[in-house]
Amino acid sequence: MSTLALQHYLAVGGIMFVIGLIGFITRRNLIVMFLCTELMFQAVAINLIAFSRFVGNLAGQTFVIFLLVIAAAEASLALGLVVLLFRQKNTLDADAWRELKG
Amino acid sequence: MDALFAVKYSYLIPLLPLAGAAIAGLFGARILRGRSHWPIWLGVGASAVLCLSLLVHMISLWRTGQSQLWATKDFYTWIEAGQFKATAGFFFDPLSAVMLAVVTGVGFLIIVFSAGYMKGEAGYYRFFAYMGLFIFTMTTLVMANNFLLLYLGWEGVGLCSYLLIGYYYQRPAAREAAKKAFLVNRIGDFGFGLGVMLIWKVFHTVSYFGGDGGGVLEMALNPTAQQAAAMRYIPFLLMLGAFGKSAQFPLYVWLPDAMEGPTPVSALIHAATMVTAGVYMIARCSALFVGNQAAMLTVAAVGAFTALLGATIALRQFDLKRVLAYSTISQLGYMFTAVGVLAPVAGMFHLVTHAFFKALLFLCCGVVMHAMAGELDMRKMSGVKRVLPWTNLFILVGCLALSGFPFVSGFFSKDEIIAAALRQSPILGGILLLTAFLTAYYTFRLYFRVFQGPLVIPQPPPAQEHAGHDPAHQHRKHSHESLILMLPLALLAEGAILAGFLNWPKSGLGDFLAASPSIAVATAGAPAAEPGSEPLFTPIMGMSALISLAGIALAYWLHLADRARSDRLAAALGPLTRVLDAKYWVDEIYQMFVVEPLRQLGEVFFLIDQLVLDGLVALVGLVPQLGGFAMKLSTQRGYLQGYAAVMLLGMAVILLMIFVT
Repeated sequence: MSTLALQHYLAVGGIMFVIGLIGFITRRNLIVMFLCTELMFQAVAINLIAFSRFVGNLAGQTFVIFLLVIAAAEASLALGLVVLLFRQKNTLDADAWRELKG
Repeated sequence: MDALFAVKYSYLIPLLPLAGAAIAGLFGARILRGRSHWPIWLGVGASAVLCLSLLVHMISLWRTGQSQLWATKDFYTWIEAGQFKATAGFFFDPLSAVMLAVVTGVGFLIIVFSAGYMKGEAGYYRFFAYMGLFIFTMTTLVMANNFLLLYLGWEGVGLCSYLLIGYYYQRPAAREAAKKAFLVNRIGDFGFGLGVMLIWKVFHTVSYFGGDGGGVLEMALNPTAQQAAAMRYIPFLLMLGAFGKSAQFPLYVWLPDAMEGPTPVSALIHAATMVTAGVYMIARCSALFVGNQAAMLTVAAVGAFTALLGATIALRQFDLKRVLAYSTISQLGYMFTAVGVLAPVAGMFHLVTHAFFKALLFLCCGVVMHAMAGELDMRKMSGVKRVLPWTNLFILVGCLALSGFPFVSGFFSKDEIIAAALRQSPILGGILLLTAFLTAYYTFRLYFRVFQGPLVIPQPPPAQEHAGHDPAHQHRKHSHESLILMLPLALLAEGAILAGFLNWPKSGLGDFLAASPSIAVATAGAPAAEPGSEPLFTPIMGMSALISLAGIALAYWLHLADRARSDRLAAALGPLTRVLDAKYWVDEIYQMFVVEPLRQLGEVFFLIDQLVLDGLVALVGLVPQLGGFAMKLSTQRGYLQGYAAVMLLGMAVILLMIFVT
């Protein structure tokens, strides 16, 4: 077990994704939920890099750089939204916004 | 034949009026306005010149003794589908040449008259566009060299008739009349369409003559067993179309109502040309009819019955145009009797003379109507000859011709029909003689009441005076007989007097028409007249002359000498008067036994549609609606976690489906 194989990377990515998923489903705090989505996002990025390295193709890594930029932009937007939502109701509980249902 | 100028350019005969109609219709509303009659005048005039040249050239060819006096000319393949093939092509023979000359010649005169008559009407351009369209479809009908093109023209004239009856579409009566005409014609045309289909089915062609293996009318003379079997039904189907279009019993009910259209329309379409299309069609298809005794007898019997029916109803009508409408029905009955007793020459002869004198009568009525501020009730006017001296002269000519006064056109043609009917059966002949008496009576009843006697002119309420005319018209109140109205009348009157001499004392028109392959077939099977040369003046002629004079005398006695006498007579004949006033309740019978059951059936269908069909459709819509509602209550509750869980579930299902299969 001297070298890291593809499976190790995929395992890390998979575990991270599942943690994010469970967190998103179980928690009510908007910021935590947002962090969980970021977690799932990064799990996918790890997968991409792992595959890229394994097949020896730089396309996956290039893709991840773009992905990170977009994730950063999206994170700033989402946090801004969370702040706005917090100002409206003075709480971070997602259930406070139930009336937004169709 | 093919070398004739008019044959070579025959496509211009229908297309010029069509072009005129297109110009009047497209540019009439904004640009041409009061000049909208010009394109139609030019188009129909040019096509009338072509038709007359065709007729004249054909006559001169006939004089030189040319044996084959017919030609068929295809312009292009109209429809080709599998074995079926129909061409756009024309057929020329004496029959179509005579008919064309009548349609475009009389049509042109009426259209000239219309320009004066319709002056200042709203939708002036529309009227002329329709008239041009009518001449286009009517000439197509007459010239077609196959049944499908005939059918096109047949439907086209029906459409124009509908449009022109409904010309005053603001008036409910006009709209109703237009619908009635269209629907009643639909019944007839349904039969006609079936007939054309059956013809194609057994003959495998729709051409009249020529083409591979000969046309329908050639094969019909030598039919195979299957064709002979079909020919038992074909004449009846075609006949149904003819009865509808030519207003024969029981499909005549639309024609009296069609008088809601402008008077020139009544003259052109509902007296002179369109309604004679049925007679023309049966004469054209003689080959299909002659072998079928039952069909011929039906045509003759229906014709004679309609002649009598129309004449009796006309006795008690007081509306000028309705008298003439019933008279037209009656005269068309004469023509049908003629073709039914294998005397299509007599029928066509009467068609020609009738076109002249009936168009003349209608147009004279139009002049009266103008002068009387739209009034048509003959009880409200009298002695009009003092106001309208020229019209008096012309209508007298028309009345003499219609009543069969000796040596005026209608006398000769009607007499030929009566003679032919008497040769076939004394009953038919007797009915026609009785009808001739009634015709003379009701014609002169109209004339004596309206034009003779003390002057009575209906005074219209001032607000309604000259309704629909331009204000300028009121200032020309005393010039009701302008040149543009009188000139066509004069020419028609001339025709009404002289047309009779086409076929008397020598059988000129008859011999010419007999050169037509269609007519030759029929006359070959007809019971011969007296062998040898026909006498100049037969006893039947004397008899019908006497009958006509008797009718006129009776009209004089009842309606001019002492008008109260006619009322007393009507009162004395109480029940009979009531039956005639009610027009035999035919309209009521239609209403009760045809219209009402159909309406109720329609209501049943409407209910079925509403309850069953619409219910099914609504049910189909309700299922997803209910499903959505249930989903909304169960899953869409606003918990983000819930949505995420459902997404997860969905993804799990998709992944399962991918990996399991």
